[in-house]
Amino acid sequence: MASTQHVLLSPAELAYLHSSLSQTPPIRPDGRTATQFRPLVAETGILPGTNGSARICFADGTEAIVGVKAEVEATGRQEEEGDEEGEGGSGNGNGNGSDWVEMSVEIPGVRDDDSGTAFLAAMLSEAVVADGGLVGRLRINGRFHWKLYLDILLISPPLSYPLPLLSLTTHLALLATRLPRLKSEGDEDPFFDDDWAAATYLYPRGEKRTRRPPVTLLVMAVGKNIIFDPSKEELAVADVTLAVSVGEESKPDSEKQKRGRRLKLVAVRTVDPPSRLTPPGVPNAVNAAYGAGGRQKQTGPRPVEPEAVEGVWRAPRGGAKPVVMAALVQKTLEAGGVADEVLDALDGVDLG
Amino acid sequence: MASLKRSFDSDPLAANISSKVYVRSTKSGKVQKIVREVYLRQDIPCSSKLCKTCLATAPKTASGTPIPPVLSNAPAGTKNFPQGHYIVPDTNAFLTAMDLFEQDSAFYDVIVLQIVLEELRNRSLPLYNRLVSLTKSEDKRFYVFFNEFRLETHIPRLEGETVNDRNDRAVRKAVAWYGEHLARTKVKTIPAVVMLSNDRDNLRKAKAEGIHACSLAEYVKQLKGGERLLDMIPETEDGDVIKEKKPGQLLYPEYFTMSKMMTGVKSGLLHQGTFNVSPYNYLEGSIRVPAFPKALLVLGRENINRAVDGDLVVVEVLPKEQWKEPSTQVIEEETIAKNENPDADEGEDVISEKERKALQEEVKRTQSKTTEGHAQPTARVVGVIKRNWRQYVGHIDQSSVSQSGQQGRKQDSVFVIPMDKKIPKIRLRTRQVAELVGKRILVTIDAWDRGSRHPTGHFIRSLGELETKAAETEALLLEYDVQYRPFPKTVLDCLPKEGHDWKVPASTDDPGWRDRQDLRDLLICSIDPIGCQDIDDALHSRPLPNGNIEAGVHIADVSHFVRPNNAMDTEASIRGTTVYLVDKRIDMLPMLLGTDLCSLKPYVERYAFSVLWELTPDADIVNMRFTKSVIKSREAFSYEQAQLKVDDASQQDDLTKSIRTLMALSRKLKQKRMDAGALSLSSPEVKVQMESETSDPIDVKTKQHLDTMSLVEEFMLLANVSVARKIYEAFPQTALLRRHGAPPKTNFDELANQLRVKKGLELNVESSRALADSLDKCVDEKEPFFNTLIRIMATRCMMAAEYFCSGTQAYPEFRHYGLASEIYTHFTSPIRRYADLVAHRQLAAAIEYEAVHPSVRSRGRLEAVCKNINVRHRNAQLAGRASIAYYVGQALRGKATEEDGFVMKIFSNGFVVLVPRFGIESLIRLRDLAEPEPVASFDAETYTLRTSGSREVAVELFQKVRVRVTDQKDETTGKRGVKMEFIRAY
Repeated sequence: MASTQHVLLSPAELAYLHSSLSQTPPIRPDGRTATQFRPLVAETGILPGTNGSARICFADGTEAIVGVKAEVEATGRQEEEGDEEGEGGSGNGNGNGSDWVEMSVEIPGVRDDDSGTAFLAAMLSEAVVADGGLVGRLRINGRFHWKLYLDILLISPPLSYPLPLLSLTTHLALLATRLPRLKSEGDEDPFFDDDWAAATYLYPRGEKRTRRPPVTLLVMAVGKNIIFDPSKEELAVADVTLAVSVGEESKPDSEKQKRGRRLKLVAVRTVDPPSRLTPPGVPNAVNAAYGAGGRQKQTGPRPVEPEAVEGVWRAPRGGAKPVVMAALVQKTLEAGGVADEVLDALDGVDLG
Repeated sequence: MASLKRSFDSDPLAANISSKVYVRSTKSGKVQKIVREVYLRQDIPCSSKLCKTCLATAPKTASGTPIPPVLSNAPAGTKNFPQGHYIVPDTNAFLTAMDLFEQDSAFYDVIVLQIVLEELRNRSLPLYNRLVSLTKSEDKRFYVFFNEFRLETHIPRLEGETVNDRNDRAVRKAVAWYGEHLARTKVKTIPAVVMLSNDRDNLRKAKAEGIHACSLAEYVKQLKGGERLLDMIPETEDGDVIKEKKPGQLLYPEYFTMSKMMTGVKSGLLHQGTFNVSPYNYLEGSIRVPAFPKALLVLGRENINRAVDGDLVVVEVLPKEQWKEPSTQVIEEETIAKNENPDADEGEDVISEKERKALQEEVKRTQSKTTEGHAQPTARVVGVIKRNWRQYVGHIDQSSVSQSGQQGRKQDSVFVIPMDKKIPKIRLRTRQVAELVGKRILVTIDAWDRGSRHPTGHFIRSLGELETKAAETEALLLEYDVQYRPFPKTVLDCLPKEGHDWKVPASTDDPGWRDRQDLRDLLICSIDPIGCQDIDDALHSRPLPNGNIEAGVHIADVSHFVRPNNAMDTEASIRGTTVYLVDKRIDMLPMLLGTDLCSLKPYVERYAFSVLWELTPDADIVNMRFTKSVIKSREAFSYEQAQLKVDDASQQDDLTKSIRTLMALSRKLKQKRMDAGALSLSSPEVKVQMESETSDPIDVKTKQHLDTMSLVEEFMLLANVSVARKIYEAFPQTALLRRHGAPPKTNFDELANQLRVKKGLELNVESSRALADSLDKCVDEKEPFFNTLIRIMATRCMMAAEYFCSGTQAYPEFRHYGLASEIYTHFTSPIRRYADLVAHRQLAAAIEYEAVHPSVRSRGRLEAVCKNINVRHRNAQLAGRASIAYYVGQALRGKATEEDGFVMKIFSNGFVVLVPRFGIESLIRLRDLAEPEPVASFDAETYTLRTSGSREVAVELFQKVRVRVTDQKDETTGKRGVKMEFIRAY
C-alpha cells in the first residue's frame, strides 16, 4: 500500500537525501540518530466518558487521540460451538475473538472508506488481536464478553505516515482502559460494581502486571542503514519500509524477578513507501539539456531501467529482500532496542 | 518523551467544575460509565434566619423576591447545646430512625444534606418520600442544603477512599462549613451545628475534627422526654450494646447473591414470586410462580429463611423426596413458640423441639399415605429481591415480659405479636414495657439477620388501649394501609369555590352546559341502601311511541369536578377507593363532592353522565348512547322503600310505574346473564346494627336480599358493559377495564373431591356455565343453607377480579368469568372508586365531549394506576370485613348464644365452623373440646375426624353442628373475637 502522500521533492533532492541517509552513520534531515524517536508528549484520561483514552502529540505537530469504549455482549452461539470442537473452551486466541474489538480510524481530509485508512485500521487491530492476550482479558464468563470499540482519531493533518503515532496512542489508551469490576461469579449474568473507582485495568499494572498490548513501529531501510520512525521526507527515499508489531512475551517463572522484558514479533507488514512513485532523476549523460547526444540514443531501444548512476535518483524497485527484512525485525526486537525503549517510555506515562 | 499531567492551575474556571463518575447497569444488560459534570457555585444559601450574607447572593424567585430562609434564628436548645442548635443527620440516622424525625416534640431546624437525601433515595424510596414530605412541611423547618453543589462544601473523592467514607466526610465538611459560616454572622448566640450519626467511626472522626457530633441515642437523651423517644432508635444501632455474634450461631442459610438469583431466574432454575404465608399455619408458605400452574410450598422455618409475608423472593425447588402435602394441621405460632425468651437467643436451634415434632408428624402422615401423587413440590427461599416490610400493628406478648421489665426504666426485650397472624413475632427493645403492655402499638421491622430467630424491630407509637374503638379502628386502617389522614389543603383548594352553594348554572349558555343534554324533565330516581349519602347512580325508564322502552342510568359526573392531574386527582388515585367500615367511611374524595356536589341528591339539579338505551320489552338493546347531562332526581329511595312501593298495587303514579318497568326488564336481563353462564356467588354478609347515639353495636343481622337490589345491580352491570365496549372501541390500547380470570381447574380440585366424597355430587368446572349449573344442583333437601355454603366455598376458589389496561391483555383474556361477560369495566361509582373516574374520562373523550387527557392515554401510567387500585380495592374489602368482625365481637360481648353452624374445613387437630347467623367462622381445636385433649383419628380420605378418650365426637365436613358462641379476647392477637364451643353434631 502506498503511504498516500506524494512528496514534493525533486529527484535531485531525493538523491541527496538518499545518499545522506545511506552514510554511516546516517545523517537524518532533523538530526536524529537512526534509532531515535521523534520527541512526543503523551497523556491519558482525556476523555472522561470513555473507558480509557490517550492523546499523543509528536514534535512535528501530528497529534492523535484514541478513545476506548467497552460494552457487554453475549458470547454468540458460534463461539460455544467452536469451544466444543476442541478449542479447549478457553475462549481466547481463536479467530472469533477478532470481532470482539472494533476499530475505526479517522484521518482528516480522508474518507473513512479510503483504502489507506482501512489498511491502517486493519494493521492496528490485527496487531492488537494477534497478540492473543487481549481477547482472553475481554472474556467475562462463558456466556458474556466485553466488546471494545476503539475510536482512533488523527486530529492534525497527516504530516507523516501516522501508523506509529496511532499505534502508540492506541497502546496507551488500552493501558489506561478500565472495566467495571465484576461482582457476579461463574456463568451468571454479569453484574458489576457501580463504583467507577473500583474498576479494574484491562492491563493491570503494579503487582499483577501482565503483558502489555503490542505496538506497531515503522522501520525503514536505506542502503545498509536501518532507520526508525522515519519522517515523511525520509520515507520518500526508503528502499524498504516495514510495519513491525512488537508484543511482550510472558516471562517464564524463572525470569519473573529479572528486570526487562522479552519481546516477541507479533506481525510484520510491508508498506509501499512513496519512494516508489517518485519520478526518476536523469543522469547528465543522457540529459539533452546538458548536451548529451540525443541522436546516439535514438538508434537503440531505450533501456527500461537505466543503469544506476551515482548521485542520480532512481526509485527503488522490487520487493524487500528477506535478509533486509530479517535485519529490520532483528534490530527492532533486540533487547534495549527501539521497541524496548518505546515501551519503557510509555510505561512512564501517568495513567491516573 | 514526556508525559503530560494536565494541571488545573492554568484554567481559572477549573475549580468550579468537578465531576462524578459511576457505572450504570441498565435492565437490558448494558453497562455504561457515566460522567456527570458538577458545576460548583457559591450562591447556595445556608437558609438560616441569622445569616444576612447568603440572602444577598441567593438566587431569587422568578418574580424577583428572595426565598425566605427556613431555619429558625432561635433554634431550640438541649442540655448540651443550650445556645440552640441545628441538626445535620447522616443517611443512617434517617434510615434507622425516620420516625424520630417525624415527632412533634423535637427535631426542628434540621439541615438535610443533598448527599444524604440522594443516598437515602438509593437505599429506601418510602423513607425518601417521607423525608421529602417533611422538608415540605413548613413548621418542621427542614432545609435541603445542596452541599454537593456549593464550592466550599464539595469534596472530591480521595484515592482509595470508599464511597461511604467519602460521603461521611462530605457530611462532616458541611457541618464544619455551617459552623464557620454561622460564626461569621457575629450574632450573640450562635447555634451549634450538630451532626447526628450512628456510625462510630464517623463520630470519632468528627470529634477529632472538632465538630459537634452525637449518636442518636446520646442526642435523644439530652431532650426533654427523651426516654420515650429512645425506643424509636432501632436496637442494632443502639450505641455500644451491639452484641458480638460468635461464629457458628447462624441459624439461617445465607442468601444467594443478586446476580446468582437473576441468572437462575432467567434460566428457569430458580423462581421468583411473592411469598404468602398460610393463614392457618405460620410455618407454611406458598409462592405462586409463572413457571408452574400450582403454587410451590415452602415448609418450615429454615426453608422460609427469613421471608416475611408479602416479600418478593426467589425460591429453589427442593428434591422430590422432600415434597410434601400441605399441612392438615393448624399450627399457630403462639401455641408452639409460647415460652420463648426474647433475650436468650444464643445456642438455640432454628427449629425448636416442639416445632420439630410438629414437622415429624407431618412427615409421618405423608409417608403413611399410599397415594404418592398427593405430595406437592416444595421449595426453599434462597434470597429476597425486595422486602415488603411495612409498619405492623400488634401488641406486646405478656408472657415475654420479664419481671424486672415491669418496673424499671431499663431497656428490655419483648416480643410483639402482630395482629396479622402471617407476620412472625417481632423482637423489640423498649424502655417502656410497663406502659406499653395492653396497648395497641405500631412497630416496624428493621432487620432479620442470620443469627436471630425472630426479626428485630422498633416501636413507633402507641395507638391506645386494646379494644378501645379509636385504637382498634386506627389499627385496622393501618393494617390495611388505608389513607385516613384528612385531606391536605392542596386537595381542598381544588374544590369549587362556591362550596355547598354550588348549583348547576341557571343559564344554559354557561360553559358548564356545553354539550350537556337537558334531562331535567325525566322521572329519575335513585335507589340505595338506607342512609346512603354518596349517591352515585340514578335510573329512569319511559315508554317510547314504538312500543320499546327507554331506560337510562345516570351517574354522578365526578370528572367534571376532578380534573386530571391536579392535587385532588392525585390524592384520589392514591386512595383508589372509599373504604366502608361499620361506623366510619374513609372517603376517596372530599366530603363536599362525595356527599353533596356530585351526589345525585333528590330535588336538586346535578350534573350527570348518562347512558341511555332503547330496549325492547324483551330487554334486547336496540340502540344506546352516552351523554353528559343535567338531571333532577325526583326521589332517593332506600331498597326497602322502593320494594314496598313496587309491591304496593295501589301505587299507580308514573314514578312507580317506571320502577316496575325497570324491575321487569332487570329480571329479563338477569335471566340472560344466567343463561350466558354468570355465577351467582355468595359470601357471608351481615350487618351490624348500631345504637344511634353511642354507635355501640347492639345486634347483628344477616343482610336480606331484595328484588330492588338486583334491579339496580342489573342496570349497573348493563351500563358497565356498554361503557366498556365503547371505551375499548375508542382506545383499544389504553381502555381501563376489569377482568375476572377463569380460575385454574386445580383450584376446585379439593372442593370437587369433598363434594364427591361427602355428598356424591359432581362439580363441573369446565366453564362458568357448567359451574353455575352444577352449583345449582348442590342442594341438600334437609338443609337449605347447604347450597349457600358451597357457593361461599366455591367463591374462595376463584381468582380475584382485577383492573387492567386493555393493551396489556389479549381480547379473550378480557373476559369476566363471574359475570360471563366478554368485556367489563367499572363506570357506575365514580364517587367511591377511582377506576370509574378514569372510565368517565375515557368515555368523555370517546364521545368527543372533551380532548383526551394525556393521563388517560398513557399506558404506563394507567398500568401503575391499575396496580394501585387493585391493591387498594382488596385492602378496602379486607378492612371492611375486619371491621365487621370486630363489631360482631363487640356486639356479642358478654352474651352467649347457641347457634347452628357448618363445618367448612377440617384438620387433623381441629375444624373450622361457619355460623351463618353472624357470618363468622372460627376454628375449634381438639384441645378446646375437652381437657385433656382427646385422642383423635383423622381420615383425610373421607374428611372425618373422630375423637376418643376424654370426649367422643365424630365430625365430618359439611356437617351441621350446634355451637355456643361467646366472645373472647384473643390473648395472642389482642382482638376480641368470637369463640365457639362445640356442643353437638346434628
